[in-house]
Amino acid sequence: MEYLSNDKILVVDLAKGDVEEEELSEELVAERIGGAGVNAHLYGKYADDDPIVLGVGLLTGSMYPASAASVLTAKSPVTGKLCHCPVTLKVGIEIKYAGFDYIVIKGRSDKPVYLWIHDGVADIADAADVWGKDVWETTDAWRKGVGDDLLQTMVIGPAGEKGLDCAQVCCNYWTGPDRFGIGKLFGQRNLKGMAFRGMGLLEAAEPEDFVDEAFELLEAVKDNDFMSKKGLGPICAALGETDAEEWLSPVVHRHSADYFTPYATNTFAFIDEDPATVTETAKPEPGVLISDIPALLAFKKLGLSALDAAKAMQACARQGVDPLAAATASGKAGKTAIDEILAQVAATTEPAAMEGNGVFSPWCPRKPIFGDFGASDTDAWWERRQAVAAIFGIQPVFAVMCPQLTEESMISLSNIGGELELDPETLDAVIGDIAG
Amino acid sequence: MGIKIDALKCTNCMACEMACGYHRDDGFAFLSACIVPYRAREKKDYFGVLLKEEDSLVVARPEGTEINRIGEEADPDKEADASAKPMLLREACDLCEDMKYGPMCVKICPVDAISVEE
Ligand code: SF4
Ligand code: SF4
Repeated sequence: MEYLSNDKILVVDLAKGDVEEEELSEELVAERIGGAGVNAHLYGKYADDDPIVLGVGLLTGSMYPASAASVLTAKSPVTGKLCHCPVTLKVGIEIKYAGFDYIVIKGRSDKPVYLWIHDGVADIADAADVWGKDVWETTDAWRKGVGDDLLQTMVIGPAGEKGLDCAQVCCNYWTGPDRFGIGKLFGQRNLKGMAFRGMGLLEAAEPEDFVDEAFELLEAVKDNDFMSKKGLGPICAALGETDAEEWLSPVVHRHSADYFTPYATNTFAFIDEDPATVTETAKPEPGVLISDIPALLAFKKLGLSALDAAKAMQACARQGVDPLAAATASGKAGKTAIDEILAQVAATTEPAAMEGNGVFSPWCPRKPIFGDFGASDTDAWWERRQAVAAIFGIQPVFAVMCPQLTEESMISLSNIGGELELDPETLDAVIGDIAG
Repeated sequence: MGIKIDALKCTNCMACEMACGYHRDDGFAFLSACIVPYRAREKKDYFGVLLKEEDSLVVARPEGTEINRIGEEADPDKEADASAKPMLLREACDLCEDMKYGPMCVKICPVDAISVEE
């Protein structure tokens, strides 16, 4: 595949300790498009090894708005199904710019390792020094090791090492969409995580036409009323949690966006520092980046202040525990004091109850946010919307916000950029295959 | 004329870096961009935007913009990106004079944090 791609599939055998490369054929892209579509195909191809597959969307890291996401595909220990978990922030695009489109991980290493992927080179590296360390210590160690603070990581913490169903694969320092216990799968294989860095160049077949259409789309996106807002507060309000914005406001520092995502879907909460601080804080670890809306609301429902909720979210991020699982366990055990809840984070084992089909992550709210999509069956609409986002590489929360990011526009830009002839029937077939 | 950045409005999305990289390399890339949102202080949530101009390196910080004459600043690259081409070796902003959309970073910024100053 010449365009929008590195033309590379990496197959990693942790048991043998070797890596192999395959080409990404244009036929495969024409049939399976990308992201979760190709991941599911690769899972099937290597099914005997029950692999973990990481893949980029066809549009990931392009000038298509919100093309931020990659996707992890694996058999979930929580749902027992092949699930597709988004990789967000700026981690999703770094995978593509580091030189690979798909990474199949099979086997189990006999000692702790991590995958170090940089500028088209893949190494299985020793992780003995970070085994037992939390998510923050691990990302810090890897960044320090290569002297680059922009290294992007996917990491498990102690929860993943212990093989718990509530374990997440975290992105850099933060909890993410993993409600599927993929963190447990990493731990069972002695895989502490992956680190990515690269300065690749992706060609588009018709770059000028691509940019024309992408800019036209961006203008339409920018017309939305929600573009005057930022962060999690307004999202909670749009979901009917009208007092959440005010509740959250005492800890809000700034809001940030995943790659080229027009709405900032992440809110940083300051815990040990005045949130009104504008200059660089002297505190090395003042707070936590929050993107998990259901988990935040679950802590709120336990009666916590936003400050205490942020403390709980920070503890989950360090431990690599799904914060919704921790909030659920706290609720069940009747814990409401913050010290008890912080102790509960480290003691959580059970996953959160799964909403939906158990194929796409309910980390993304399961209804339209702000936008009107005219869907009669919200559940079916949400599953399809998540499937489309996971195939093309669209930030999943923005996908349920912005009706202008249509399937037609994703197909059209893929065809222009990739010299392809995708049509709605191809997309329907891929969705039918992955959506379960 | 020059590029003006409102770092407090910025959401650190990297779109400007992509648009500028596209202007340089005719593909999707960050390699040669002369506008770079800095994001290395991730745990501190401290971010803004760097811009390389002909004679200066502009650091748009949340608390205000700092203009460093090139040659006088000790270590501007610590803001940027250790493994990329160092900021000072990149071509300076040319306001995208050959692009039909004009300044690409202005055009792409989803939150209008970048403008052209006459
Ligand atoms: S105006 Fe053009 S050259 Fe200058 S920073 Fe913006 S995109 Fe880069
Ligand atoms: S495009 Fe705008 S919001 Fe995004 S990083 Fe650049 S200045 Fe910030």
